[in-house]
Amino acid sequence: MMEISSIPISASHRAKLLSAGYTTLSSLSSASPSQLARDLNVGLQEAIDILKASSESCRLDMPDGAHEFCKGAQTAWDMLSEEQALRHISTGSGDLDSILGGGIHCKEVTEIGGVPGIGKTQLGIQLAVNVQIPYEFGGLGGKAIYIDTEGSFMVERAYQIAEASILDVFDNFGCPLKEIQAFSKRLKPESFLENIFYFRICSYTEQIAVINYLEQFLAEHKDVKIVIIDSVTFHFRQDFEDLALRTRVLGGMSLKLMNLAKKFSLSVVLMNQVTTKFTEGSFQLTLALGDSWSHSCTNRVILYWNGNDRHAYLDKSPYLRSASAHFSVTGKGIRDATSQCKRVRMM
Amino acid sequence: MHSIPPKPENPLHLRSEKLTLGCPILDALLGGGIPCGSVTELVGESGAGKTQLCLQLLLCALLPPSRGGFSSPSLYIYSEPPFPLRRLLRLSLPSLPPHPLDHVFVRPAHSPDDLLSLLSQLPDSLPVRLIIIDSIAALFRSEFDNTPRDLKRRSSLFFEIAARLKERARKLGAAVVVTNHVVDVVEAECGGSRCLFSSGRRVVPALGLAWSHCVNTRVFLTSSEGMARSSNGEECATRTRRMHVVFSPHLPESSCEFAIVGQGVLGVG
Repeated sequence: MMEISSIPISASHRAKLLSAGYTTLSSLSSASPSQLARDLNVGLQEAIDILKASSESCRLDMPDGAHEFCKGAQTAWDMLSEEQALRHISTGSGDLDSILGGGIHCKEVTEIGGVPGIGKTQLGIQLAVNVQIPYEFGGLGGKAIYIDTEGSFMVERAYQIAEASILDVFDNFGCPLKEIQAFSKRLKPESFLENIFYFRICSYTEQIAVINYLEQFLAEHKDVKIVIIDSVTFHFRQDFEDLALRTRVLGGMSLKLMNLAKKFSLSVVLMNQVTTKFTEGSFQLTLALGDSWSHSCTNRVILYWNGNDRHAYLDKSPYLRSASAHFSVTGKGIRDATSQCKRVRMM
Repeated sequence: MHSIPPKPENPLHLRSEKLTLGCPILDALLGGGIPCGSVTELVGESGAGKTQLCLQLLLCALLPPSRGGFSSPSLYIYSEPPFPLRRLLRLSLPSLPPHPLDHVFVRPAHSPDDLLSLLSQLPDSLPVRLIIIDSIAALFRSEFDNTPRDLKRRSSLFFEIAARLKERARKLGAAVVVTNHVVDVVEAECGGSRCLFSSGRRVVPALGLAWSHCVNTRVFLTSSEGMARSSNGEECATRTRRMHVVFSPHLPESSCEFAIVGQGVLGVG
């Protein structure tokens, strides 16, 4: 059994490892970066460096036959990316997160539809902000791409939502002053805004061009963890003389997005509009773009009014049961509705 | 497809300009004024004050930036003749440049196609920072039947017009204002649009759900009549007008009272 003294790290790190009970290399090999960071009370990057150093010294000391093992082994960086992908992006509402199985999932395409004013853009901006919550605070610490086809992305609103999200992070974690100081540089609404790559699209040809360009862009910006298109629909509801062409273009687009989600372990969120459909003698609300489109997303969430309350319904998911949740749009962004009710009742 | 890769923008560098409505109370309701780069709809029954507010905005666009304007000309497209010239002449604002009417371009539009061709002829070089369509509903009043085919044609025209307007708004950095009529509703469900009361009627914006998806901000003008006791004890009819933000990407649902007086449309508070 190899001792941790063989790892090329600083004496203070070695002391921290020992006092936290990490005495052998094998005890380190099962630790995740975030767990190690917590146990040693060090930053995440430091923890990753320690894990990298330990896996390299493993490799150096390896007898020839162990190369097989090494091929199958992961580096700490791989582990971090995997862990990131397992985390979900919070919608800002715990109730909504719970019907989604923890939030918006990476490696998947999620479609969100609803009537005008129900909060699709609000949710889009909220996700573009929340994906940036640092890893240490339960977020993904990623960046966002926001493809705005309708002109509804408002900077002042994004700023408000970012400001509130940052305050919530500090409230929830009640972290010691030292940590806040270390993060206060990064945790500013301005830097949250800067980490949203904003594309404004004015036609469906531009929309296709951007989606074709995404692969290259994402390869250069691997820290992007969410792509939001608000809405995927708008430019496809104009007069398409050739409806078969429209179906083909949309199909190709969704396939590309699904592949990007898998390849870059990121989440793709597509906002959709609703339309009325005449079935069984009455008009019913249904998501736009037709039946063939409805097969192209992994998850589907429908936002709707119930009286004066906003609700979300999980309509389609590969492994979660359909359910609905009550949410609200507040000055801070998307939040649970229940806490508001409580407040009203108390008054 | 040979297209230059699109460039992302940094939201911190995006402009978020607003055009004043010429009244601090109304500006406050709209978070500073009518936003540039997107489409704002003013909806209300006839006599609600939509056209009056539009005319006021034409003058506001001429105000210097220090007073919330753009010092820019504007384009007013009307579909319900005649053009309300006399009402425009009666309006005035302090700090206007000399001969303000020289900077208001006026064009009629008789059909959706007419409007589309007019918008496509609008040159990039024309420094218009405000485009008003008064009204969108009148363009669609005739020539469409209630058949599925016509309804489909109608809604695809909505999206075409909206896309053209938003593209112009983006290129010119312009505020776009569109007025819309109301229709009465009888059923409990209003097809996704939530109804409001105006003059005792239960109403929703005209043109339905598809058009609702075309506007970024919806502002509803309502009025209601009530009885009040005047100082000499007699009952008299009073009219209360309210401006409601129904939905908007940057504003909460809210409303304020307003009045139409000699000087124009003013908030009450």
